[in-house]
Amino acid sequence: MMSRFFSPNLVLGIAPILLVIALWQGLVSFGFAPAVLLPPPGFVFGRLLQQLVTSTFQHEIAATLIRLFAGFAIAVVLGVSIGIAAAASPAINAVVRPIVRVLAPLPKVALYPALLLLLGFGHGSKITLVAADALFPILLSTYYGASTVEQKLIWSAMAAGSSRYEILFKVVLPAAMPSILTGCRIGLVISCIVVFLAEMITSTDGLGHALVTAARTFQAVDMFVPLITISLLGLVLNGLLGVVRSYLLRGFPEA
Amino acid sequence: MKARQNGRGSNDAPHGCANDSLSGRLLAKLMPLNPRASGTEGGMTVVSARSSEWVRPVTQQDPASAIIEIDRVSQVFQTSARKDHVALSDISLTIEEGAFVSILGPSGCGKSTLLYIVGGFVSPTSGAARMKGQAITGPGPDRGPVFQEFALFPWKTVLGNVMYGPRQQGVRAAEAEAQSRALIEMVGLKGYENFYPKELSGGMKQRVALARTLAYHPEVLLMDEPFGALDAHTRTRLQNDLLNIWERDRKTVLFVTHSVDEAVFLSDKVVMMSKSPGRIRQVIDIDLPRPRRRNELLLDPRYQKYVVDIERMFDESDQAGAPA
Ligand SMILES: Nc1ncnc2c1ncn2[C@@H]1O[C@H](COP(=O)(O)OP(=O)(O)OP(=O)(O)O)[C@@H](O)[C@H]1O
Ligand SMILES: [Mg+2]
Repeated sequence: MMSRFFSPNLVLGIAPILLVIALWQGLVSFGFAPAVLLPPPGFVFGRLLQQLVTSTFQHEIAATLIRLFAGFAIAVVLGVSIGIAAAASPAINAVVRPIVRVLAPLPKVALYPALLLLLGFGHGSKITLVAADALFPILLSTYYGASTVEQKLIWSAMAAGSSRYEILFKVVLPAAMPSILTGCRIGLVISCIVVFLAEMITSTDGLGHALVTAARTFQAVDMFVPLITISLLGLVLNGLLGVVRSYLLRGFPEA
Repeated sequence: MKARQNGRGSNDAPHGCANDSLSGRLLAKLMPLNPRASGTEGGMTVVSARSSEWVRPVTQQDPASAIIEIDRVSQVFQTSARKDHVALSDISLTIEEGAFVSILGPSGCGKSTLLYIVGGFVSPTSGAARMKGQAITGPGPDRGPVFQEFALFPWKTVLGNVMYGPRQQGVRAAEAEAQSRALIEMVGLKGYENFYPKELSGGMKQRVALARTLAYHPEVLLMDEPFGALDAHTRTRLQNDLLNIWERDRKTVLFVTHSVDEAVFLSDKVVMMSKSPGRIRQVIDIDLPRPRRRNELLLDPRYQKYVVDIERMFDESDQAGAPA
């Protein structure tokens, strides 16, 4: 299982992070890397705190977050609805399956130049790319979860008078929730990676853009700040998803 | 097909869409009548769960009239390993309104299949099952199943589970809640309304499952080894409680079990089945006074005779070797 957040294991989870930071500090202190290229962690975190209060940096974070959330949300909505629909209807499945087979292994970044031409340099192209990348894990896990719903849960609902359509929402969707949320967790990590990547490739704002700008001007410290920020964001978002998950799955034995 | 549906985890990679064995699985489960049996009847029709048979004319029937008729029902399963496996062969059975009927037989003789046919979950290869004279074409709230696996909704609390049926029947939330709380109390779980199924013991789960089914007032209870997964003590208590509930409102009960004691203790009628192919061997009327008290009954020579006789009959069929 994936590591849990907001639990007694929190301490255990923080330990390796501290270890990495210690290693980082060690590399700098013992002169394995020149401080100009690898600034010491204290420096970077100080700079981060400095940056966090500036409106320019806040703007970069906001831009990245908007793209991440929008893309991820689209992926969740599409992934869950297509996944359930494909599991319930052989006709939809017949259409969806070959498309998924072709598109799932495709590196979606390859579509980015085309998306830029189509949707411009703003939010649209990045949101689309994030959604495209996060979609497949969510779709596949939803499909799997919906296909393996216990027969007798469905029968119990049918006998109580639910129509097949109602059962999709009242039984199949909640029963598939553990599987769906696992897909969402993978999708969220992918979203973080992809939004940053897209901003690095071509963008006028966002954390990825900030990193590339700093790198071009050899500002090593400023290069690390967006990097730390996106991993912190990832950590917080994953934690939030964990909270949502334990709420939604409060009745499930494995949660 | 059942085996395949239940055989989870064996070869199901979590990459659903890429896995053909998953395709259409949910659809098959959603079909009120699985068109999975090989039939000589030709096209198997799939009917929506909301079929018109629910709307019955309100005719007063006399207490001893037939409520369920099973008319020469046969079920043939096409399986990959064994071609055309005859699970049920020419079963005819009439169940009277208000009767407690047990189906007793060795594992694999088709008890569950027969119950699913009456429930409308599975359509027979040939023959027909009727409820109050109307052909059973799908599940309906007039027939309430209780499964051995409890099949409670894990995302709902005890109260949420019990309220599901009434809410689906269009009962207003407040009213459904009041009814459900009363039912939860009746099955002895007062105070557990806001527990999730995972927080309950097996016996408590089965009480919830019973309450959930009783909540939409089915005329017939279809119980498939409901106490099979419970320890002996819990089982006895649930048997007593079921009898008390049943003696109060005398619903028709079709009760599958492979415990002879249980069948004799509970039933008006015991249907003995034999295996390969599933047939009815004998129908035995259990002529014991009600209300039945376990401690009295266990000492009653008539009860003992029923149990011994039925057990002997099973032994005989075992010794006779594999039937044709
Ligand atoms: N969906 C299916 N596909 C193929 N064969 C099936 C299917 N369902 C049941 N069978 C077969 O039909 C026979 C009867 O099954 P059923 O589950 O009705 O038996 P049972 O009497 O309820 O047994 P038990 O007491 O073990 O529950 C078995 O041999 C089983 O293998
Ligand atoms: Mg069975």
